[in-house]
Amino acid sequence: MAAIHPPMHKVFITGVGFITSIGNDAAAVGQSLRALRHGIVRYAPFDKPEVPVKVAAPVREFQTDGEDPEDWVLPAPYRLRREVLRSLGPGSLYAHCALQQALGDARLAAADVSEDGTGLYAASAGSPGILTRHVNRMHGQGVMRCPPLGIVASIAGTVQFNLVAHFKIKGASTGFSSACASSSHAAGFACDEIALGRQRRMFVVGAEDGNVETILPFAGMRALSLNPDPDTASRPFDVARDGFVGTGGATALVLESEDEVRRRGITPYCEVAGWGQASDGHNVAISHPDGAGLAAAMRRALSAARVTPADLDYINAHATSTPIGDISECRALHAVLGAEAGRVAVSSTKALTGHGLSLAGAMETGFCALALRDGFIPGAAHLRNPDPACAGLNLPRTTQPATLRVVLNNSSGFGGANVCLVLKRA
Amino acid sequence: MSEPVSFEPASMSPAPKGPAGDSEAALRDSLKRCSSATVEAALAYRKRRDPDLLPSIIIGIVERYVESDLRGKLTEGDDDVRLMEDLGVDSLTMMEIVMLVEEVVGMQINNEELRDLRTLGDVKTFIDCKARGLPLPKPAKFLPVEGIVAVMPIQPPFLFLNEARVGADGATAKYRITGHEFFLQGHFKDNPVMPASMMLEALGQLGVLYLLEGHPPAEPGKMVGPGTIFFTSCEGVRCHRMCKPGDVLTLTIKPKRTKMPLATFEGSIRVGQEKAVVAEEITLTYGYIEVPQVLPAAAVGAGEPIPFKAAVNG
Repeated sequence: MAAIHPPMHKVFITGVGFITSIGNDAAAVGQSLRALRHGIVRYAPFDKPEVPVKVAAPVREFQTDGEDPEDWVLPAPYRLRREVLRSLGPGSLYAHCALQQALGDARLAAADVSEDGTGLYAASAGSPGILTRHVNRMHGQGVMRCPPLGIVASIAGTVQFNLVAHFKIKGASTGFSSACASSSHAAGFACDEIALGRQRRMFVVGAEDGNVETILPFAGMRALSLNPDPDTASRPFDVARDGFVGTGGATALVLESEDEVRRRGITPYCEVAGWGQASDGHNVAISHPDGAGLAAAMRRALSAARVTPADLDYINAHATSTPIGDISECRALHAVLGAEAGRVAVSSTKALTGHGLSLAGAMETGFCALALRDGFIPGAAHLRNPDPACAGLNLPRTTQPATLRVVLNNSSGFGGANVCLVLKRA
Repeated sequence: MSEPVSFEPASMSPAPKGPAGDSEAALRDSLKRCSSATVEAALAYRKRRDPDLLPSIIIGIVERYVESDLRGKLTEGDDDVRLMEDLGVDSLTMMEIVMLVEEVVGMQINNEELRDLRTLGDVKTFIDCKARGLPLPKPAKFLPVEGIVAVMPIQPPFLFLNEARVGADGATAKYRITGHEFFLQGHFKDNPVMPASMMLEALGQLGVLYLLEGHPPAEPGKMVGPGTIFFTSCEGVRCHRMCKPGDVLTLTIKPKRTKMPLATFEGSIRVGQEKAVVAEEITLTYGYIEVPQVLPAAAVGAGEPIPFKAAVNG
């Protein structure tokens, strides 16, 4: 007897919003992806003899390094009242701006944003910088002298706490915490909410502060690149890669059901055709040497989307430019793609942005949505001498025009969590 | 007040630890978003401990937390300006204000002390009493409709107070015009409008409640007799706005003179922010009776205000 499936609704991406190191809106991000213009700089806060890491990919035009959010500088058109600012960390500020942008991009009316059928899933690691300052203040000035909203501004759920309140979200809301797979988990489960008919629209938001406190602790793991040259520090799949470059910012995606797309008469970027996840069951921080969990996640995603490797045109790899992780992914790609490995284009846009941690999955899904709509494959930037493990993979060095049918976006996080999303031409 | 105030004279408070201690630079930094007049007043207060400086410091600090489009209400308004309704100061912002006041004037304020602070005048009085080491005024008492019915000689359907808050310096009440008031059937034909005389009646009723709640305090063993209070006169009455079913009247009275057997109040009624009625003087006559020997074990229906800290989830 055949399995009984509940009626499934198709899910589409209808809006995107970006606050990233390579652009603060979809147009700028699209230009950077096409021109392979990276967002990595010599990062002033690392310019100290005792800090071996020298580069990062900070967001531009925002100044969020002051302790007091009222000292922060926001570019036009963003302007937030004090009562909104006081519970934000830098990441949730970027998230607020990215969501505002995505709502406009999807041409959503206020009544479509604040209603029972619209929810929000977010991902962030919280704001360790703000948390540190508040705990120091508690020890130094006294327990009752801590800012009343210090907790809300700093713990891991800060992005959804703030956005749900400020945008008056009425439907499902929660956050995901699987490190570098977090916002792909948020997108996957948001997709399910719509597919199962529980919500007609979901906002997916990934965000990171992208400052000293979020990036530099990875130096202790020896996970960051010590290469001081912004033009080559992030080079996924290159034999000379030596670690990742940290970034921050936010990306917001608007996911909607087919009925909503039709009712509102909006042209979607692409369909979210399915997703899959699997875990390595191997090590708390080191990826499985053969990429076993990632391969299983890719297969499940393809199966859920009812496509095969033969349908795939492009894979946005997780590859962060670390020596071990990139090899694991190469092996997983070979295992899944088989005979298609030489055809399907693969690149990691982390060469341009650096690694966005909890932001990465949503940001790169947004990049894939742009690539599907605008018809291009982002090139594998900064790749000169591919690691021998990449042999047989199609790693285009430059961005190429292409009519994409099916795109896969990979993400992997601590604990060996792997999440893959399949996007399809709408 | 539910528990005794733990007052420490400001000059004896230990300075807070850490970098924001008592240096002038730290004070200036803490007050960097306040007006220069506020900063100067705070610096002078640190030197002289002159309580007369406190009102301008307090207003300066509150102003810093009020959105710029609402600041006019703070500078133009009087002590009746309400923190939450008029200035948008919610309970979390109140905590921020309190922390900065504590830091600047060097005093400790407990959560329990904040729950009755509703107007700018309440805040000024509170800080002034603390700084001078005076006892705090008895906080306003909240009475729900059951508590009002229990003490008033006037009863439905002629009672026009749904809830009230009574303190030494006056009383406020709310009354929602339901449309079912018997006199609206004829006032006017097919056009129900609350009669001006009934608005004055409502203000008078609030005056009655004020007297029955023991303001001003009677001689020992005596109390105002519910059957002794009657209307005597009113002057300077002006109506500014028609009030109709659905309107919520906010009634306010303040004592101008109270000397047995006459109590004179000024009264006003608002609907939202709109002025509806002003009465320059409403005078009631009253008398004392002996306090009954056996008092009920518990006051009827004395509603508890919502605890200040209960407004937070998580």
